[in-house]
Amino acid sequence: MAIKATLIFNNTGKPRLMQWYQQQMDVRTQQQTLKEIFRLVSNRPDSACNFLEGSQLIGGNDTKIIYRHYASMDLYFSKSVKIRISEIKQFFSALYFVFVVDSSESELGILDLIQVLVEVLDKAFVNVCELDLIFRPDDVSSILSEIVSGGMGLSFA
Amino acid sequence: MLGENEELSRLIINCLSRDLQGNSEIFACLALHAIANISGREMATSLLNEVQQLLVSGSHTSFVRKKAALCLLRLFRKFPEIFEAIDWAPKILYMMDDRDFGTALGVASLVTALAQVYPEAYYGAVTKAVNRLHKIVIEKDFTSEYVYYKIAVPWLQVKLLRLLQYFPGPADLQVFRRLNDVLAYIISHSAEVPKNVQHNNAQNAILFEAINLCIHLDPASELVDQTLGLLSNFIIAKETNSRYLALETMCHLAATGARNCLDSLRVNQDTIVASLKDKDISVRRRALDLLYSMCDQNNVRVIVAELLQYLPIADFAIREEMVLKIAILTEKFAMEYSWYVDVVLQLITVAGEFVSDDIWFRVVQIITNNEVLQEYAVATILTALRSPTCHETTVKVGGCVLGEYGHLIANMPGCAPIDQFTALHTKFPICSVQTRALLLTTYVKFMNLFPEIKGEIIAVFKQHQSVLDVELQQRANEYLRLATRDDGDELLQTVCEEMPAYPERESALLLKLNQKIADTEDKRTWIIGGKDANTEVAKAKAIRDAAIAAAGGAGTNGVPRPVAAGKGLLKTFEDKLQESNNPPAGSTEEADLLKAIELSKLDMPDGGLSETIQKPTTPAAAPTVDALGAGVIDYSLAKPVVKALSGGMDDSTLYSRLVTAANGLLHRDANLEIGLKTEYREHIGRIAIFFGNRSSHAITSLAAEIQADPKQVRVTLLQPLPSIIPPGTQLHQIYKVECLGVCDPLSLLNVACAIGDGISLNVPVNLSLRLPILLTKFVTPIQLPANDFFQRWKQIGGPPRESQAVFRPASGTVVATSDLAKIITSLGLGIIKYVDDSPLSVVGAGIFNASELGKVGCMVRLEKNEQYEMYRLTVRTTNEIVSDVLRAQIEECVALHI
Repeated sequence: MAIKATLIFNNTGKPRLMQWYQQQMDVRTQQQTLKEIFRLVSNRPDSACNFLEGSQLIGGNDTKIIYRHYASMDLYFSKSVKIRISEIKQFFSALYFVFVVDSSESELGILDLIQVLVEVLDKAFVNVCELDLIFRPDDVSSILSEIVSGGMGLSFA
Repeated sequence: MLGENEELSRLIINCLSRDLQGNSEIFACLALHAIANISGREMATSLLNEVQQLLVSGSHTSFVRKKAALCLLRLFRKFPEIFEAIDWAPKILYMMDDRDFGTALGVASLVTALAQVYPEAYYGAVTKAVNRLHKIVIEKDFTSEYVYYKIAVPWLQVKLLRLLQYFPGPADLQVFRRLNDVLAYIISHSAEVPKNVQHNNAQNAILFEAINLCIHLDPASELVDQTLGLLSNFIIAKETNSRYLALETMCHLAATGARNCLDSLRVNQDTIVASLKDKDISVRRRALDLLYSMCDQNNVRVIVAELLQYLPIADFAIREEMVLKIAILTEKFAMEYSWYVDVVLQLITVAGEFVSDDIWFRVVQIITNNEVLQEYAVATILTALRSPTCHETTVKVGGCVLGEYGHLIANMPGCAPIDQFTALHTKFPICSVQTRALLLTTYVKFMNLFPEIKGEIIAVFKQHQSVLDVELQQRANEYLRLATRDDGDELLQTVCEEMPAYPERESALLLKLNQKIADTEDKRTWIIGGKDANTEVAKAKAIRDAAIAAAGGAGTNGVPRPVAAGKGLLKTFEDKLQESNNPPAGSTEEADLLKAIELSKLDMPDGGLSETIQKPTTPAAAPTVDALGAGVIDYSLAKPVVKALSGGMDDSTLYSRLVTAANGLLHRDANLEIGLKTEYREHIGRIAIFFGNRSSHAITSLAAEIQADPKQVRVTLLQPLPSIIPPGTQLHQIYKVECLGVCDPLSLLNVACAIGDGISLNVPVNLSLRLPILLTKFVTPIQLPANDFFQRWKQIGGPPRESQAVFRPASGTVVATSDLAKIITSLGLGIIKYVDDSPLSVVGAGIFNASELGKVGCMVRLEKNEQYEMYRLTVRTTNEIVSDVLRAQIEECVALHI
């Protein structure tokens, strides 16, 4: 089980959460990697699969990027509270959840882990949106560390 | 904040230790988390035992144990050498039976990692894993809280199935039968597709892992046969994730090389080939890998033909890999040499720029080593050289091969020595310096083979006696001296003796491909490629391990590289190139002579190279009033601002946007919308033109073609256009554009169609639109150190290879320097910094690529004068026409501020 990085960024590539589990990386490389991943991921249509082979920058052929794009977050959850953020949502809702893993991972397992993460975030923030991630980064990262500890997936399902 | 190497982290070791031993569950968890994330070697060594105690003691809650297991795993990954893994094996294995599924999952991950390193010590895991699976899957022994979308603890199942793949099948017959039952149950219960996405994911994850395990256990078993049906359903599934994973699993299947699998994969060959054209690049990659793996003598022709056909329209991102794989397949499975030569030549023609040096080196090697092949190869390559589209790599191969074996075909019609020479020499001007150097060597070999064309060759050498490039100059001089010695060409003959056959080598291509498969933390249980590839890797690994062990024993530092039986070490290809480029220095006498020549050369005038490099004096910043009178073009007066006229949507506005943008609209009216998508790589571009019908009636008898100067631009239609567009739909056609010479901005797209208006059906419409197939599109940016820039700038010098203009912007005011830099960048040039200290100017450089004209270096300097609101643009390139055209284009963009 080895997750190399967890990233959350929005439609324009602005990072909302970055967690790297590999060796220490300087900020520059982190940003380059983020840009690279954003470039790869953002061009893909929704019908494409959720897996992407890594480019050289991220670790070559044995690295996979597994991502989910939540075009409008609360579509996936309860429909009743939609109004709360409906106006801001236009600008602040589409998020990419990206896990960079090595090829020994079960792809679908990670995909499910992302779903679990999003569901937990949703429960914690009651209808999560991008603003929650911006204003309460501590909560987000502690939730993430309950799920992924040092690159090892903790709680599936 | 706290890195693993900080001093501070040492101080908290005791704190952490107290937390681990304390009674509070929360403290223990936090401590474990901290250890997992930030522990350095020292912390790991001192706390390892306590973490392990937490895991096995049994007095803690399952949550702590789970965390402890994962923390151990993390530490093992980081510092495997401090682990007493073998001593702990019984205790850790015991934990696999933990009643809590979460803990079991964590322990299973840990065991998976440990088992890869210590397979014997952890062999007990097999029975435990099988029993656990049996309990979950068949006996349904679980509590309801662990059911996730009707599936019990799916991720534990996945983990255990994967764990089993690291061991050989269970030896105990009863255990084996149990495992078989489990697998059969999983496979037979996965036929229906659940509606819910999560449910589907979980089910498929288990299924794919189970299939992988089946393949691992025995690829010829009945279970695998069953799964093949499932897999072939998956690869035509609508859902992309399933297609992707199914292709990957099939790849695993093909890698085992079992007869029955390959046969049944062949049934699906068409579907797999179709997947090469899938919308998703990940799927295309998998399909490529699978085709590569399932290829053997029987289907190599079909598969290679398919791949070659797909190559011209494949994405740039995977072309290089494709080329490499095609080259390997042809080499590995070629039944006849002529076919091999044909395919490789075709490869070079279709995707020349992606053919790495390794590939053509290998071709030359093979031709040299197979005498039967030589005659055919030489003849074919000569024909290829004559075709106008021949790629530089073809010239390289041609240079090597003709120089060595040209005499074999000298008696055939049309292959006389002089014909061979002309075929090569017509390509000479468009080649890079490296290739030209190689050609010079070929010529000297010709001189030895065919004394009758000595005159022509000497003329070429003389011409190159004082070229700018040192390498070319040296060769020309050396060869000229060699040719004009009066010892009856004795030395020449010795120098140009036929190359000896190369020692049998491992294919460098395979090495290259294997290198790409980097080490991962969890080892792969298989690699992409046929059966041979897998066994070879295993063998190579064994040899390497032995070599490392031997080196360790002898106490030497250097680890000997693996030497497979009967195969020599692979020489680097640079050596080889050197060999083929330079005549082999056989005798000392000869070496001395070459040295003497070299010495004498030093006295010769050196085309201005030794000139000291000076910073060009900054041209007077303000153009004087005199300049205004004659030379200055005033865009603000000459060009009425078009944009205002029709809401910014007329064709010329759209066109001017496309001058810098890659994609956009070409034309738009009430009925028809024409869009453009382009992608350029050096001198080749792909253009997709989209036709959208905005009216409510069908557009009929649609025809569109690109009209361009055939001498400058070659346009090939890749995907034709249907003649009818139904209302509300969009169709497209794709062209390949190749830049031959200096393309001027006069390419047109002629469109003819009939638009129905509901009353009379055919209103003919004819459009003629400017297409931005511009010189700047074929320019690739380069970065140079400032010094190099000056040197080249000086080398080119003033007119005629310099082109300069002073002009006013259309808007009347100059824009910010950063905006100018943006324009320059959007035109394909790279910005060179630190050349000019003035904040009012921008300096850029790029290379213009054209297949017949060759590569032309372009350097641009753009200055502005804020006082007079004017620009001065200076363009220097190595070709005077390019200078003018490039200058005109940049001028237009800057003046109109596109």
